[in-house]
Amino acid sequence: MMDNLTKFWASIAKEARIIGRDHQALFLFFVMPVLFVLILSLALRDAFGDRPGATFDVLMVSQDPGEVTQSIVEAFRSNAHILLTQSNTASEAEARQWLIDGRYRFVVLVPADATAQAERRLGEIMAKVPPELRMEKPVELVVMADPALRSDFRKVLEGSLNLALHGVEMKLGREQLQQTMRATQGENYVPLPDMEKSRLFEPVRGETVTRKGSGPTPTSVQQNAPAWTLLAMFFLTVPLSVSFIREREQGSLFRLQTMTVPAWVVLGGKAVPYFVINLIQMASILAVSVYVLPLLGGDRLELGNAPLALLLIGGSASLAAIGFGIAVAMYARTTEQATSFSSATVMIMAALGGILVPKAVMPPLMQEVAILSPLSWGLDGFLDVFVRGGGVQQVLPEALSLLAFSAICHGIAIMRYRSQT
Amino acid sequence: MTTPCPYSSRHNGGATGAPAIELKQLTKVFPGSSTPVLNAIDLTVPAGTIFGILGPNGAGKTTIMSTLCGLLKPTSGSVHICGSNAQTERATIKQVLGMVPQEPAIYPTLTARENLEYFGRMQGLSGEHLQQRILACLDVAEMVGEADKRVERLSGGYKRRLNMVIGLIHEPKILILDEPTVAIDPHSRSLIHHRLRELHAAGISILISTHQMDEAEQLCQEIAILDHGRVLVQGNVSDLLSMQASETIQLQIEGDPPADLAARLEHIPGLLEAHVAGQCLTVVTVRPDRVMIPLMQAMQDYGLAVRSLSFGTTSLEDVFLSHTDGKRASR
Repeated sequence: MMDNLTKFWASIAKEARIIGRDHQALFLFFVMPVLFVLILSLALRDAFGDRPGATFDVLMVSQDPGEVTQSIVEAFRSNAHILLTQSNTASEAEARQWLIDGRYRFVVLVPADATAQAERRLGEIMAKVPPELRMEKPVELVVMADPALRSDFRKVLEGSLNLALHGVEMKLGREQLQQTMRATQGENYVPLPDMEKSRLFEPVRGETVTRKGSGPTPTSVQQNAPAWTLLAMFFLTVPLSVSFIREREQGSLFRLQTMTVPAWVVLGGKAVPYFVINLIQMASILAVSVYVLPLLGGDRLELGNAPLALLLIGGSASLAAIGFGIAVAMYARTTEQATSFSSATVMIMAALGGILVPKAVMPPLMQEVAILSPLSWGLDGFLDVFVRGGGVQQVLPEALSLLAFSAICHGIAIMRYRSQT
Repeated sequence: MTTPCPYSSRHNGGATGAPAIELKQLTKVFPGSSTPVLNAIDLTVPAGTIFGILGPNGAGKTTIMSTLCGLLKPTSGSVHICGSNAQTERATIKQVLGMVPQEPAIYPTLTARENLEYFGRMQGLSGEHLQQRILACLDVAEMVGEADKRVERLSGGYKRRLNMVIGLIHEPKILILDEPTVAIDPHSRSLIHHRLRELHAAGISILISTHQMDEAEQLCQEIAILDHGRVLVQGNVSDLLSMQASETIQLQIEGDPPADLAARLEHIPGLLEAHVAGQCLTVVTVRPDRVMIPLMQAMQDYGLAVRSLSFGTTSLEDVFLSHTDGKRASR
């Protein structure tokens, strides 16, 4: 056993030397993933979490100085997705042209006497004038939208507008009611309670609920740092499998097979240096996400409070990736086969597993299918720690799945290696 | 060439009673194929000899070597190495054998010393003994000065020398070499030959597969000629050469011989085969004494002047050709 352990260490040292002398590979292993995380976290910063994300240029043309204009402005200004421009001089034709030119995505034209018209109509309603005899019609706002504007976004804008107008109705109605009460109750008049302090319902605010419980939505860096760590780890299957096939082509593997070297020494000696590379990749990506990204204007990665859980999920993902790489190497006959098969398979697993496209934006069926990808298990494990505040216990199911995948791949590889000798 | 052989006297004599290698009825049929690559091979490599396996491409040489190293399982038959069964005592066998593959099986980005150290450790060596073996092997390969250069920066000759001495790092009793001097410079070839003779003198049994007849003739005491998975002939090189020599008569003819000369000679009693290459007529017979006079008479009848005649000398190449190519003409 001691003899085999000595051989094992010698194999690790040999592989580490070979990798250490391949400067191009070292660049690809360590610099590329970090660059990816930096670029993507900055580029996708607004597509995640509570940041405004997509914004729309909205034009409001109004000469109405009253409540209608104020309420709409207030409603639009409180919505971080809306960039509001106000005009009191533009004509409808000009506004239409600006919309066509793509200057604005949504235009609201408020009639010049909108508030006054609303008040007059309210007066008639309060005076119980029959509808057919009322002089004032409901106020009509002109709303125009860019046809390229997604229908769901248009509905959000229309909803905001209608909510604002509904607020105006409530406010004007209440004022009218107070005037009437003051006139009729005289000395005994008691003002109505403050509306803001007398709400019947708490304002709603959606809470993100995940299958593990509730927690905040991942920010761009919380998604990208683990996603690209995992992709980098699994992409290591390409150089790993190629290195095996090169040894076979060079004949050194053949020479080892003529010696008393157990399969686990040959395969393990190759796996350990790549495992260490994976852990360094993870540490460097996380360090850059914590310390460098905020300096460039990105979000800081919150690592959570469970470094052991991170190590467990990272280590398990690495072992899964290495097992896959070794299994590919045992079956591929040429470096071309190994390269194309491993890179294509890893990309498919990444696409399925929510690495390239976050699972949250996938349709339900695709979210179900994502469970098939080991990268998805790894990503869920990292998000357990980063987003859901989980620890070792929470990441254990994902870690065990990855370790089982790794064991199966290593088992297949060892059987194949033995069958070849 | 003044370097002492790195082998101790423990190998001297080599023979332990059992042959170095013994193949009995060895047959190998690859899955999906109906034709055996090795067909009931019987082969004995006596301990302490340099034994050559000759044969054209596809004859089964590499299959024999892979089977000896335990990389291929025979379909039937047995392989014994120093008396141990190669299938059931693989660990013992691997310690006894040193394998030198045809192509340099080394790590190009490691130095020569690092390659020796790694494969030495894989053979179970360590500490001071390993360092001594590394130095001895570098010495044998005459590349002490190149020890710390990466292999990828070494010449083809150095790579081949390193390839050979890695097979010696654990002091094997039997060294197996597959085409060790293919595409190699004359100096490296000569050095390898010299070292193999030294190893042989130290009692190492050597099995060498080669296409180069002069190499086999210079190095080997015994050879086996393989073709289509069968041993066509096996024996002592001098015996084979003298046997072949006594069966071949060569004539150098002045001028161009007629195209049908070989056919015209077929009537001579005792003549097995005749072929013409340029101005050289080669005649194969088991009774040269009976063939010689009618042959010279025929030359005179056809008006052909004989410039020289040789009988009783031949090369291993002739032996090889007569048992492979030449076989088809035998009657």
